[in-house]
Amino acid sequence: MAIDCLVLGAGQEVGKSCMVVSINGKRIMFDCGMHMGYTDSRRYPDFSLISKTGDFDNALTCVIVTHFHLDHIGALPYFTEVCGYKGPIYMTYPTKALAPLMLEDYRKNMDRRGEDEQFTSDHIAECMKKVIPVNLKQTVQVDKDLQIRAYYAGHVIGAAMFYAKVGDAAMVYTGDYNMTPDRHLGAAQIDRLQLDLLITESTYATTIRDSRYGREREFLKAVHNCVAAGGKVLIPTFALGRAQELCILLEDYWERMNLKVPIYFSAGLTIQANMYYKMLINWTSQKIKETYATHNAFDFKNVRNFDRSLINAPGPCVLFATPGMIVGGFSLEVFMQWAPSENNLVTLPGYCVAGTIGHKLMSGKPTKIDLDKDTQINVRCQIHQLSFSPHTDAKGIMDLVKFLSPKHAILVHGEKPKMATLKERIQSELGIQCYCPANNETVTIPSTHYVKADASGTFIRSCLNPNFKFSTCSSTDKSYLDSNKSKAVSRLSVSDDRATEGILVVEKGKKAKVIHQDEFLHMLGEKKHEIQFAYCFPMHMARTEDLSSTSHMLCSFDKCTLISRLSMILSDELSEGNILDLGEELQVESFRVSVCSSDNCPHRLSSSLQNGSESVFFCCHWSVADEKLAWKIISIMKNSTL
Amino acid sequence: MGRVAELERRQSAMELHVINSIQQSLDNNQPLSFQAVASLRSLIINPATPDSTLSSVLDALTRSLQLNRDPVFLHHAVKLLSDLASHRPHLSPFALDLLRSDSLFSSASPRLVGESLSVLLSLASIGNDMDAARFVSLCLGPSVSVRQCLLRNAEKLVFRESVLLAVFLGFTRDPYPYVRKEALDGLVKLCKNGDFDDRDVIEGCYCRAVELLRDAENYVRSAAVRAVCEWGRLLVICSEDMNKQDSSDAVFIQLGCMVRDMSLDVRLEAFEALGKIGLVSEDILLQTLSKKVLGINKDKAYKPIEGLDISVSAVAGAYIHGLEDEFSEVRMSACYSLRTLTVFSLRFACEALNLMMDMLNDDSTVIRLQALDTIHHMATSDHLKVEKIHIHRFLSVLVDSSSVIRSMTRKILKLAKLPQFELFKLCIDGLLGNLEIYPQDEADVLSALFHFGRNHGKFTVHIIEEVAPEMEPASGGKLSFDSTRVAAFLVLAISAPLSHEKDVSAIPPRIFSYAVTWLGRISYGLSDIMNQEKLLAYLSECSRSSTISLADFKINEALLTVEGDASIPLCSKVDSPVSMPFWKDSGGISDYHHQEFLSLGKSAAHAEYELGEHSELRKYVNLIFKKVKDSWSLVELGCTTEACKGIRACKEEVASFTTESPGSFGAVAFTLQYLQVIEMLAKVWGHLRATKMLNPNGVGKLELLFAKLDRRLREISNRFIGLSKGEELQILDLVLVACLLRLSKVEICCCNAAMKLLSSTVAHVEYLHKEGSIEPSNFVTEVKKSLHDADSSSSSSSCQPLLFKKLLDSFSLQQFVLYGTPRSVHAELAVPGNDSENPLPFIPGIPASIPLAITLHNVLTESRLWVRISMGEESTQFVFLDLNLIRNKKRSINVVREFTFVAPFYRTPKAVSFTVRASLGLECFRENVDRVKVFGGPKCELTYLCPEKEIFLCKSTECKSKSAFT
Repeated sequence: MAIDCLVLGAGQEVGKSCMVVSINGKRIMFDCGMHMGYTDSRRYPDFSLISKTGDFDNALTCVIVTHFHLDHIGALPYFTEVCGYKGPIYMTYPTKALAPLMLEDYRKNMDRRGEDEQFTSDHIAECMKKVIPVNLKQTVQVDKDLQIRAYYAGHVIGAAMFYAKVGDAAMVYTGDYNMTPDRHLGAAQIDRLQLDLLITESTYATTIRDSRYGREREFLKAVHNCVAAGGKVLIPTFALGRAQELCILLEDYWERMNLKVPIYFSAGLTIQANMYYKMLINWTSQKIKETYATHNAFDFKNVRNFDRSLINAPGPCVLFATPGMIVGGFSLEVFMQWAPSENNLVTLPGYCVAGTIGHKLMSGKPTKIDLDKDTQINVRCQIHQLSFSPHTDAKGIMDLVKFLSPKHAILVHGEKPKMATLKERIQSELGIQCYCPANNETVTIPSTHYVKADASGTFIRSCLNPNFKFSTCSSTDKSYLDSNKSKAVSRLSVSDDRATEGILVVEKGKKAKVIHQDEFLHMLGEKKHEIQFAYCFPMHMARTEDLSSTSHMLCSFDKCTLISRLSMILSDELSEGNILDLGEELQVESFRVSVCSSDNCPHRLSSSLQNGSESVFFCCHWSVADEKLAWKIISIMKNSTL
Repeated sequence: MGRVAELERRQSAMELHVINSIQQSLDNNQPLSFQAVASLRSLIINPATPDSTLSSVLDALTRSLQLNRDPVFLHHAVKLLSDLASHRPHLSPFALDLLRSDSLFSSASPRLVGESLSVLLSLASIGNDMDAARFVSLCLGPSVSVRQCLLRNAEKLVFRESVLLAVFLGFTRDPYPYVRKEALDGLVKLCKNGDFDDRDVIEGCYCRAVELLRDAENYVRSAAVRAVCEWGRLLVICSEDMNKQDSSDAVFIQLGCMVRDMSLDVRLEAFEALGKIGLVSEDILLQTLSKKVLGINKDKAYKPIEGLDISVSAVAGAYIHGLEDEFSEVRMSACYSLRTLTVFSLRFACEALNLMMDMLNDDSTVIRLQALDTIHHMATSDHLKVEKIHIHRFLSVLVDSSSVIRSMTRKILKLAKLPQFELFKLCIDGLLGNLEIYPQDEADVLSALFHFGRNHGKFTVHIIEEVAPEMEPASGGKLSFDSTRVAAFLVLAISAPLSHEKDVSAIPPRIFSYAVTWLGRISYGLSDIMNQEKLLAYLSECSRSSTISLADFKINEALLTVEGDASIPLCSKVDSPVSMPFWKDSGGISDYHHQEFLSLGKSAAHAEYELGEHSELRKYVNLIFKKVKDSWSLVELGCTTEACKGIRACKEEVASFTTESPGSFGAVAFTLQYLQVIEMLAKVWGHLRATKMLNPNGVGKLELLFAKLDRRLREISNRFIGLSKGEELQILDLVLVACLLRLSKVEICCCNAAMKLLSSTVAHVEYLHKEGSIEPSNFVTEVKKSLHDADSSSSSSSCQPLLFKKLLDSFSLQQFVLYGTPRSVHAELAVPGNDSENPLPFIPGIPASIPLAITLHNVLTESRLWVRISMGEESTQFVFLDLNLIRNKKRSINVVREFTFVAPFYRTPKAVSFTVRASLGLECFRENVDRVKVFGGPKCELTYLCPEKEIFLCKSTECKSKSAFT
């Protein structure tokens, strides 16, 4: 069994996320995004790779969309309405609620720019009808074999990671996620699952960001300083996400510092979006959820609606205006009015598309910006660049991969060289096989397959009762080798062998069966064989008068004395093992030694005694497991005198 | 009346009916029906059922248990018996016997055993029923719930540690996660209470816990974190000195791996555990504040134990993650554990300060307060280095809308020491801004300004010079009385002479006279430092004298004696830690602190607050005790100096408590005494149990410390009455520790005496336990056990320092909680009209009489008092003071007795004049004196109730002539 991953988009690039995974006969498409940088056919994933005939309904089991950003959902209406996919589509409730807004907004913009219309409003509406909404941690049985489950991903409201399981093979597709919380969303959260494959985004494959408090502090300081000096602050943002986060931040600060400066929201999407946010409290961070009962964090106390007449009203204010990056619209209109005063402040997001005014402001500090041939804006206001990002950083990716410990990992949604670095790190530090395929490539990884087996009654009974054993495992410390002294390290460890006592038996024509090891011999009708070593050798003895008389007629009392003397020698010399004195016999693990009184002992190599009065024969037995120990003891015995 | 009787009659008839029908069915060998069981239950629950009926119920149950083996019935029987035992305590022995019987607890059915076990445990009466073998065999049985229940309660069943260790360690392998969790929890408890020195065992447990850090279940992982922490600490203790640092680093890193867990509980545990590991290398601490792996830490691997290699990168940015966690609990925990670690490294504290300053922007008030508290903690441990980039952020908190936050910020400012004038000025501006926006803070802001100004004498002078024109009266010759700003600067000005700077004379004296016009407001603000009269005296002194540096000295002294005999440092270096947990009480919103401040500062004027005030005081005192307990953990980590510093800060804090309301004197005196005991104990502990290095000070120093400690202990155990048994026991714990410490050091040990004291104390403890039916603490049990062992094993009273050292390991300071109002036993001793100019007359060789005016407070009539009169080093004499002979007319609550006693002094020397020192001592019955008795004096050690009084005597002729001369 194997899992095949066909990368249709976001392979070694950011944009048009789309991945088709075949897993135990099921085919799932994760995300169906579009690329914002292209206007030609490269804008959409190459759907023909899924099915040559265009029969997508049979080729795909379902489509799963992680969140409402256009590079994850932009191609969905095209795929369903134009290409004709009619199967199930899964997304979370907030995504389903907010996606039409995003798509509609995008469609209008396309319209405005006079591009060909790829899909219509009706298409969007029709497409949304096919969507089945899911909740977090709700296990959805797509069909008999395929289960999917959504986990919280942070990033934007409603963003989710998806877990999919078919039979024994399981995988997680993260979509975009954030491992650190922000002011309105929590951190990604997932259970410790047994995974064959993890497909993760890698936008910041090498960046390590510092604490978000620093970013917040800079932003608040800039805004506070500006309004304290009587300036106006323009915050151009897109409607969803960042606007709410910054607004919560400002609102909280305003409360604490008792500031009375008005905060405005420009009309448009923002108000509508706030309404959605108010309803989707369940998907926000812990703090907002906790305080919801007393105060809805999206009920901004200090926020008012902006009126065009207020643009030139005196006094300080803060204004959130759409669209972000100052690409046009209302934010541009306000910018033109406010830019010439050095009292004012414009905050820009961390990333602005080339060609926008935002981008021009970020690159260098221009004093004049040419809007078109006739219009020129004097820029004297302060510029503050925000470095907020809803994507996890490299450490977050590593933390997630480490926590989930999948058997394989695939990186998507990132830049090629950086992904390669991260891939190396994952392979070397975590020992997890990692891939970063390009677009239209397929990666095949093996998946887990379990065999069903019966179990015998004895085995089940033995499994019911705990059966742990303590042992002192010995290992030799290699690092001490160079100091020419190997140090034996022993440690107490505990093991419970009840599962390992089972033996899997597969007989021809029968089902596999697990039986207890004790039953095994009985089943085969064989007897147990054990290998024992034996050795009989003389040991040098100090000349003592009372023993010298009858060396080979040792009475049992003398034997005991000899053994106890031997025991003393061994306990001095031997560092390991537990020496048991059993009267006429000495036992160390399985090694047993006793005085040999028969002259023709079969284990004796040489029967000749060099000096009968000074030696006595010892007969030893041991099993194969203790061979090393045995020879160690024998060498001690040979080298010492009784 | 008739109706009641009728009801009773009916009820007893019904009882009779029930019992009869049950008896009948039993006689017919029929099992009890469920209906019968239900009516039995109603009989048991009904409080009106007479005992006679209940005993027949018991009989019926006994019989039916022999008859019936139906598992459902047995289940009900267990329930009935448990009800019976809990409702009728006097019948519970019978019910328990039945529960223990063969048919229930000893039966073969694991479910029944489990049920009866949990009932027995809930009634806290399982002891001898379980031997180790039965415990193990039940554990090894197939029933998981019984196993879990047994493991959870293994502590109560008290077995040998080896058995418990084997069972717990074994069950960490169990396939059932809840059993694994219980086993880990058991290991943690075992580690805390037990006594292990076998490194193999410790390593084994540690490794097993480390393995379970990767368990699939959240609760197992969080239990594993606790286990790794506890066994890790043990591992550090048992490592050789060379490796101590490395192993504690390794344990720290191991725990650091868990801060990125997805489970809230695991993260919480992880941060809590991180704070518990004491000695951590600076490199590693710094790494926790940086998500990027630092250069020095690259490729550094730690292996505390073979096979467990961990790299420092695991802890990278642990605290960054913790402090920006989504859950405020985790942020709180991270903040708190950071606090404990800042003590160890200045560099770490500086870096952590950056984070803390950012935390001041957190959206939760509680977290902001905790961050401030952490900064405050850094300040008290001298690890606060404020820089310019911080100051703006920090000062902006002064205008926070929460009053608790503001007051905490000012508390930190009171301690701050800034290197540059620029920063100083910013802070002053910040405080002025605070005053402007929140006029209700005035008192505290003034107090903060005073402390702040006092810490920066030079800067203060400088700034006063700058603003002096502003403070001059306006043209009309009047001060602008509405300006609080002027008041603020005046406070600043008057603080300057009290700073330790030399050239503070630049402040024009007239400013002090301006301040007099603001006396009311200023003294209100400074009420924690001096009262209005003293302030006035101080101000007039300053405005009169031309050289203030001279005045400085005098005033300092004058101020020291402001509030009675307890010496109050002018500037309590560490300000009240009591306000720290305010958020708990007030939710952090109200102006709670402000009100508190009022009631504390002006208690004398407001008699109606007295009662409330007293319980308030107890609250504060208990907070101090909590702080002491926290400091003790530092002592255990070997940071004695830091701990002592903290304790001293507490002492200063306590000294500033008002003692004017009735009853508060005793509590405050007790607290002070307790703090002194702990301080001495900490010092001795630090000497004897230093883990870091050997102490250079010799035995002599130690002897001195011990002597002091003994005296303090004697005082605390004898000079206070009205303590509850629990409180007394806690003090006895300390006595025990002192004994053990003495015994653990062969060089200084006076073995016999110490052993005697130890056993007598243990006996007393035992007596108190029995008396008050209080569970003895683990420590006491251990001491008792080993004392018993020592007695039985070796008749010779040879010292076993190792044994005692081990015992000390099981000691951990309990938090002292003051419930009652301890009354301080003390006395005043005076010789009226006697001083060096007016000596008492004597004739050499003939006994002299010394009239002593004695005032006794709270001294019980049965106590034995001695007047100790000593002349020089060599001659000491005791005079017994028979309290029965002294009649007291009035008996007030405080039991104050005033009388005059003429003490004879026998050995007058042949000299013209001499002095003797007299003091009053109380005989302590528990401590026998071993030394040679002097003059038939006391049999036991004395606790002195008053400071020594010097008495001057002069040869009578000389005396006469002198008096004639004058």
